[in-house]
Amino acid sequence: MGKWWFLLAALVLWLACGYAMLQPGKVDASTSVRDPRASSRIVSMAPNLTEILFALGLDDKVVGVTQDSDYPPAALAKPRVGTFWQPNIEAVIATKPNLVVTLAFEQQRELARRLKRIGYDCLGVNIEKIDDLFSAIAAIGDAAAANEQAQELSGRIKTQMHRFQEATAGLPKVKVLWVVQREPLRIAPRDTFINEMIELAGGENAVGPTLRNYPPIGAEQVIAAGPEVIIEPVMVQGSPDGQRRQAFAYWQKFTNVPAVVNKRIYVIDGDVVSRLGPRLPVGIEIIAKCLRPELFGD
Amino acid sequence: MHPTLSPRTLLTRTAVATVLLVLVMLLCSLIGPQAISLKAVVSGPTNPTAPNPDYEIFVRVRVPRIILAALVGAALASAGVIFQALLRNPLADPYILGISSGAGLGVILAVISGVGWTLWGRSPVAVFAFVGALGTVWLVWGIGRITGKYHVTGLLLAGVVVNAFLSAMIMFLTSIAKSQQLYATIFWLMGNMTEEDFLVLWVGGGCIVAGIVGLFFLSPQLNIISVGYHDAKSVGVPVERIEFAAFAISAFITAVAVSLSGLIGFVGLIIPHAVRLVFGPDHRQLLPLSTLAGAMFLVLADTVARTIVAPAQLPVGVITAILGGPFFLVLLVKYSRKVYWLA
Amino acid sequence: MTSAIQAEHVTFGYGRDKPVLQDLSFQVQTGTFLAIIGPNGVGKSTLINILAGQLRPQSGAVLLEGANVRSCSVRDIARRVAIVRQEFVPAFGFSVMETVLMARTLHYGRLGFESGADRELATRAMELTATTEFASRTLGNLSAGERQRVFIARGLAQDTPILLLDEPTSFLDLKHQVQIYGLLKSIQTDKGTTIVAITHDINLATQYCDQTLLLYPLGSRPAEHPSYRIGKTAEILTPEEVERAFDVRVFSAIVGNQRFLVPLGARAGNSSHSGRTS
Repeated sequence: MGKWWFLLAALVLWLACGYAMLQPGKVDASTSVRDPRASSRIVSMAPNLTEILFALGLDDKVVGVTQDSDYPPAALAKPRVGTFWQPNIEAVIATKPNLVVTLAFEQQRELARRLKRIGYDCLGVNIEKIDDLFSAIAAIGDAAAANEQAQELSGRIKTQMHRFQEATAGLPKVKVLWVVQREPLRIAPRDTFINEMIELAGGENAVGPTLRNYPPIGAEQVIAAGPEVIIEPVMVQGSPDGQRRQAFAYWQKFTNVPAVVNKRIYVIDGDVVSRLGPRLPVGIEIIAKCLRPELFGD
Repeated sequence: MHPTLSPRTLLTRTAVATVLLVLVMLLCSLIGPQAISLKAVVSGPTNPTAPNPDYEIFVRVRVPRIILAALVGAALASAGVIFQALLRNPLADPYILGISSGAGLGVILAVISGVGWTLWGRSPVAVFAFVGALGTVWLVWGIGRITGKYHVTGLLLAGVVVNAFLSAMIMFLTSIAKSQQLYATIFWLMGNMTEEDFLVLWVGGGCIVAGIVGLFFLSPQLNIISVGYHDAKSVGVPVERIEFAAFAISAFITAVAVSLSGLIGFVGLIIPHAVRLVFGPDHRQLLPLSTLAGAMFLVLADTVARTIVAPAQLPVGVITAILGGPFFLVLLVKYSRKVYWLA
Repeated sequence: MTSAIQAEHVTFGYGRDKPVLQDLSFQVQTGTFLAIIGPNGVGKSTLINILAGQLRPQSGAVLLEGANVRSCSVRDIARRVAIVRQEFVPAFGFSVMETVLMARTLHYGRLGFESGADRELATRAMELTATTEFASRTLGNLSAGERQRVFIARGLAQDTPILLLDEPTSFLDLKHQVQIYGLLKSIQTDKGTTIVAITHDINLATQYCDQTLLLYPLGSRPAEHPSYRIGKTAEILTPEEVERAFDVRVFSAIVGNQRFLVPLGARAGNSSHSGRTS
């Protein structure tokens, strides 16, 4: 019986030592003042963050990007640190960074937590809506001593993105169904940046407010929504014609949907429109061309 | 056939296994998606003007993760030995009495409720998992006891029922969760290893090691207990007390392991089997050797998981199943003369 | 001389309306070889479990070497009495030697290992039960009879003053049946062990057991008669009592100075009830 008490005592002592040694409350107090000018080695953990960094003119300070950072082309030459979904912490450390920029998604938050624990400076920005983009640009500019460039970039983007809205002011809004996945059918609903892009391009979401982001919907909801235009962004590399044919084949059965009747089903490059970054105006332009080809050509 | 165990044999084997474990851990620390050199590591820590990434990676990323893998592997394997002995069933594993579904439910509740507070900088998911695991297994134990002291079947059935019910709850909650939350839950449930910080390793490690030592105290009586309840009682073993203690400790260390690294299957089921096949069922030996073998196995599996498709990482549970299956088959064929229950 | 086992007004039933044993009181003197005999379901195994302290009677007490079983710890009981039950194959493949050694669990040293004396006892027990040749085989690789002998060896290795056995020879061939009873008898005479064995073999009981406890099914005797009888084997196992307890005709024959009872089935004809050979 004695050995049990001894074991318990040893465990309690062990835990007490741990507590005393490390004083866990202190872990959170990591708000040391950082000099933005010291950000000479920056790592970007997402493709849109890479685009922002390059757009801010910080390209020579970028020492690591994710595998899927393919724009601008100069980014392809930078060392890889894993992908957005699967960051490689060892590769990040190997680049000897003094600033790591991450998005606020759960797995990146986890990465940021790990890096901070080890002692690296991390900046986490949340880019879910268009307004977030501008705050993010400002924050990055702050952290990397590039405030002027940040303001200039934001201004440029804002001017360009309103161009299509102004051009279509007063015209009736085109009802759009934005299909992110065909089987099961999932759409981008109202509460997303994609919807914001649609509205800036002169359209509106055919589906009303929904409970979830990118929810699956059923056929009757599609028919009830009655979209005039269906847009399918695709990420997969494949012949655009082949994919267009597949899309048309799939939508054939929806014979009472205006978009199908009028053959206004558009398959577009998913990269630009799904990445909320400096190329936002380009994405809006692509959408606008789908909504009003007669106005904007192509 | 194996001769009966002597203290000297046990000591020798345990010492050899320990040395082997340490070697494996050191070796695996040098393997990873980023190539590092031992020389660079040994040359010492970073100073701000000349950062030493090899050292950083070794000490801050690899070693803590390997220690964690060893602890979790040891905990799961030793708990597996105990559950198989208590349930008198070679197919038992630490999750059989509801720990897995309880932990899963805890996780998904934590993720969905969006509880934002952090426990010393760590997310509450681990705590919810721990509480869920422990709470469920006690529920199952309570139900099992109602069906009779020595009716192991009752306990197993209670486990099956509770598992099924909780799994249904998890599926329901999963279907209404937002996609981000979903990802976090699934990722967690598939088993994951990351480098934990010193405090977590200290506390978790302390609990697991203390638990395993406690199980060592109980292992001599486990032999006769694993034969039968009445047999153990007739021979003078206070069966209820020992079973309760063994169960409580095993459930505890499993819950700690699960809260540290999610659900990693296979280790708790197969490692005791493999060790038993080679060295025999004497628990005084089975327990320490399984503990060390479990640690080694998970360190190796984790090393494979984080290097084989680098920079991506496979969930370590996938590797344990893929590695463990064929390995066990080979053992089975080689020592099949010893395996009576195939006769 | 305190009796090894003393049962006082033991009453037991599995559930309120299923009485099994009613008001059993008897003593077993130290160094006696007692046979417990009775038809199926009459409560023999139940009684043995009660005597070993593994079942609690609804009323009454059991004393082992003067100590009330209820106030004894599991360890105390195991020092006094060893119980040998029906053989079975355990879930894990322990060898015969390991199995017999498990009887010494109570006596393990600080590191949880057996001492030389423990191994001696185990080896000796295996020699006595002729199981030494199986020492390194697993229980699953033995026949039922061989396993039964291993279980008996385990009981012997526990080295207790009282040994309880539940049908120890039910799976054994004739040679080993005689051998085991001979062994038990020698243990009784050499070491003074008190032995209580449930058996279906009336004739072995008459040959080897000094005393017999005969249990009748409840309700088969008039109310004022107890449902059991205990005493010298020859006096208890008379043809009339055996017929009454088992509800079967028997033929009684004398060989030398032993009486043998042979059950008669329907096809045995109506020959006389007894015979004699010298």
